[in-house]
Amino acid sequence: MKILRHNLVIRFVHWITALSIFILIFTGLGQMPVYRRYNVDQIPGLGWSSDFLITLNIHYIAAAVLIFISIYYLTYLIGTRRFDILPQRGDVKESIKIFASMVGLAEEPQNSKYLAEQRLAFMVTAVSVLILILTGLIKVYKNLPGVDASVSLIFWSAMIHNLFTFILIFSIIVHLLAFLIKDNRPLVPSMFTGKIDLAYVQRRHQLWLDEPNNNKTMGKEADPSKEENLSRTAESAGYGPLDRKNISQSEIILADDVRKNIYTLIPPCTKPKKRAKINT
Amino acid sequence: MAITRRTFLKRAALSGVTAATLLSGANKVAAQAVYQQEYATTIDLTKCDGCPHLDTPGCVAACRTKNQPRFPQPEKPIGDYWPQTIHEDWSDKQHITNRLTPYNWTYVQHLEVEHQGLLMEVHVPRRCMHCDNPPCSGLCPFGVNNKTPEGAVVIDTDICFGGAKCRDVCPWEIPQRQAGVGLYKEVAPKYAGGGVMYKCDMCIDLIQEGKEPACVSACPNQAITFGPKDEMRTYARSWAADNQGYIYGDQENGGTSSFYLSKIPFESINQAIKEREVDGKPGRPTMEVGVKNPLDEPENFAKAFVMAPVAGLLAAGLSVYKTMQGEEKHEDTEA
Repeated sequence: MKILRHNLVIRFVHWITALSIFILIFTGLGQMPVYRRYNVDQIPGLGWSSDFLITLNIHYIAAAVLIFISIYYLTYLIGTRRFDILPQRGDVKESIKIFASMVGLAEEPQNSKYLAEQRLAFMVTAVSVLILILTGLIKVYKNLPGVDASVSLIFWSAMIHNLFTFILIFSIIVHLLAFLIKDNRPLVPSMFTGKIDLAYVQRRHQLWLDEPNNNKTMGKEADPSKEENLSRTAESAGYGPLDRKNISQSEIILADDVRKNIYTLIPPCTKPKKRAKINT
Repeated sequence: MAITRRTFLKRAALSGVTAATLLSGANKVAAQAVYQQEYATTIDLTKCDGCPHLDTPGCVAACRTKNQPRFPQPEKPIGDYWPQTIHEDWSDKQHITNRLTPYNWTYVQHLEVEHQGLLMEVHVPRRCMHCDNPPCSGLCPFGVNNKTPEGAVVIDTDICFGGAKCRDVCPWEIPQRQAGVGLYKEVAPKYAGGGVMYKCDMCIDLIQEGKEPACVSACPNQAITFGPKDEMRTYARSWAADNQGYIYGDQENGGTSSFYLSKIPFESINQAIKEREVDGKPGRPTMEVGVKNPLDEPENFAKAFVMAPVAGLLAAGLSVYKTMQGEEKHEDTEA
């Protein structure tokens, strides 16, 4: 059985960000005069790569896309109150523990939706992107006709932009290297299909399943394929066929017998804890 | 290396001062001081005769003498720009005065131009035009090529890495490279960087002392004049109107601080330059009339940066609304 890990919005953000950043890095490195020197422009189809004005224009377009998607993502996270990707207290310690567990020196701690190291890596990437956007905007602004920026502003915006480009490249390499670790690989398809094996989540992300409003989250992100999954599970659990209307209103309750992988589907009779608090 | 570190410290101090000035609210005073006055030159081609009585034209000789102390002193042997098997070394050809080199920041093009059926002699002093929106400065990846408040475009030779991008994006390919000097030698000289770029800096040090550039003072025919940019532009335009002449540098590359004046159309002069001067290597600039500023096009894209966050906000609002609505519906049916 599979459950939803990344909804369509998150997957859209991830891939548009990845695409725009890839283009930005390629065209940005092209602003250093390296592609002609290193014969990159001799590669068939890449003749344009050493033309600074072509790569600059592409850089501008991709930058506008990155700004769009960053604002979109930030607003979406705040609007839907999804803060589970943000670092938490003790994440550094926990990351060390996770790394220790990889080499068998410790037991892997229980994780929520994201591993501590993922939350930290996200922060490094997000801060780098933010700084790159801000310094990039300064660089765009100072090149507008009639704008004379100060010498130090021009110098530092260029230097910080260059520095964080390399920090971002480094963090992307680390992000990709993470999938050399076999245990992380089931996460890869989830960024394409959105879904992930429940058994994997139970083993590595039990705290995510245990979160008080997690059932609600899973219910709200219902998509037709999941409903099919649920009804199949329900049938196999001996509940008989349920009609679609009922399922979409249903709450999935993780019962005590979760270890046996049996899910009980019941019509909602309890309100989520958060809601109950407001009412009382 | 010592120079480099000092420059970094200087810049760090400078940024600190800027921040402090802004914080103390004294920025208005600073702004007034910064945007005081831009300067320009007019170069009257009807007066320039190329100094036939001298070995080297007066302006060229004066420029060389004045800037001699700043000429590059490369350490040899100089390595190639790996994986290429070339490097740009002018240190053994410092005497050359018939093109722009790291050791020759201005030179005079001696031309024969056909005009109204006659072959006319034309002499064109060439050097950096000091553009209003200089692409060399705007596109420098290290931000070390800047336009001063006086309008001079100046390369910081202490930090320049010598990638020569400024030369590639300059419509006239003015800055010239010398290998074997500069910051790149301290980093990874074989793999990155190529030396230091050199060009005319409008004699910014003299201007700041209240003097005029060396080439201006040296001209025996007063072909080059120097003054406040507005005055120079006004003079150039009225000269062109009075003499049925032409200006080069007023519109070119979006405007510059150099106004060439001629009674012969610059199309003809450019044609002669292409035929007689251009040898396929940098340092022999053409004079294409109405040449466009490469920064003009990206400027249009800049508008996208205003739209992008707004669009992002609106789209996210819609997505959040949809998600929340789904949630509410969900909860409503629960109740």
